[in-house]
Amino acid sequence: MFSNATKRTTTQKIIYIILPILSLLLIVMAYAFVQRKLPMLLPDAAGLWNRFTKTFTNPIKNVNLIGHILASLRRVMIALAFAWSLGILFGVLIGWNRVFKALFGSIFELFRPIPPIAWIPIIIMWFGIGEFPKILIVFIGSFIPVVINTEDGIRLVEKEYIDVGRVFGANRTQLLMEFVVPTALPAIFAGIRTSVSSAWTVVLAAEMLGADHGVGALVTRGWNAGDMALVFVSIICIGIIGAILAYVLNKLEKVVSPWNN
Amino acid sequence: MEQLNGLVVENLSKTFYSSEGYFTAVEDVSFTLNDGEFLVILGPGRSGKTVLLNMIVGIEEKTGGRILYNGKEKTGIHPDFGMVFQSLSLMPFKTVMENVELPLKLRGVSKKERRKTAQHYIELVGLNGFEKSYPHELSGGMKQRVGIARAYTANPKVLIMDEPFGQLDAQTRYAMQNEILRIWEAERRTVIFVTNNIEEACYLGDRIILLSDCPAKVKAVYPIDLPRPRNMVAQEFLRIRTTISDNTDLAI
Repeated sequence: MFSNATKRTTTQKIIYIILPILSLLLIVMAYAFVQRKLPMLLPDAAGLWNRFTKTFTNPIKNVNLIGHILASLRRVMIALAFAWSLGILFGVLIGWNRVFKALFGSIFELFRPIPPIAWIPIIIMWFGIGEFPKILIVFIGSFIPVVINTEDGIRLVEKEYIDVGRVFGANRTQLLMEFVVPTALPAIFAGIRTSVSSAWTVVLAAEMLGADHGVGALVTRGWNAGDMALVFVSIICIGIIGAILAYVLNKLEKVVSPWNN
Repeated sequence: MEQLNGLVVENLSKTFYSSEGYFTAVEDVSFTLNDGEFLVILGPGRSGKTVLLNMIVGIEEKTGGRILYNGKEKTGIHPDFGMVFQSLSLMPFKTVMENVELPLKLRGVSKKERRKTAQHYIELVGLNGFEKSYPHELSGGMKQRVGIARAYTANPKVLIMDEPFGQLDAQTRYAMQNEILRIWEAERRTVIFVTNNIEEACYLGDRIILLSDCPAKVKAVYPIDLPRPRNMVAQEFLRIRTTISDNTDLAI
């Protein structure tokens, strides 16, 4: 019985390792098939590889592919640092304090449905196309999900946790810091996760509309020059980096809230 | 004559108002709590027991009557009152130690001192070795012990327990009943223990206040003079149990 059960789990393990590889293989095969039939739509594998190595031997705007990736990531990190600190603060305040909610809640509701990309023209008109306006756009895109999730998390803390705090004599600040905020941490973290994927999307859009460096700039450059291989190399990079970011965040969540798995 | 020491509950009532009308959960409940007593409040199903307790502890507003503590009217939270909650309500993000020391942390007691007190109660409830565990790693009975240790750490004069064993299986429940008596005998606090289980009430209480079903009113008061440890199948025990049982409203 016991050995049978373990055997089954090892088979299952193998299956769950094979399945993602299989799906990846299928995509590659589908790509190769379409490429063979319609070569003008997709660059072939050799072309992709050559374009990839060329980004190192012949850097675009004096920066190789890694440099462009780092330029995008740098904008994301700076914007996220502000979005997380200000977003959590703002979310806690409107989730916890009724006066604050009444004052700023409706303004926030007005800004909330505006897609971050819609800010791009306004921000470019105001601030030009330097580093600051790009970071600002990414900040807007990542600030909003942090606020929404934090506020929800704070508002939905079960009454009984607050009762426990009150019975044991907690004052308002202690209720917030010892009971409410930690209870809301999983929700806050959900906001952080959304903010990262949103920031990564928005930074590329911002770069596509005018930047020397950054993965988004590479996409636009490839597009303008009819360099399909460059566009594909950039897009594959975008996908891989996004997946790595999501993976890192998953690990980070387990470190930050070990009770929540 | 008014009693100056301890707790006196007079005509305590609670009516909830809503758009659909009003609903009385607790009506005219009066009793006096004796010092050092193990008082059991017994009531069927959802008879408003929790509402009554929450009013006594001060987290629910009363709509009628008054509560006197040491001769003064008690409104709101009072540091002499501690509570063990019905659902476990431990902080999932805190370890056993951090949960138990929490009441002292809120009062600004130094870390060294509160750790010492918390350790004492962790040992008293038999959880040594689990100080660093998180609640989700503990069994139901162990979680409830954490809740009890936490309430004791707050050093309350009156300890209120709201159906603390309601979610435990029968075996664990019997074990915890003996545990709670052992701790009570070691610490001698005044206890108000709420349950819907007649056997548990007879096993634990110095006195049982039987409530009626919705609204909760005092139906009868039974002093239990049996010596402890009580035998749940002794004739005298069964006689008292039957008397109370016959007088209890059936919960639907």
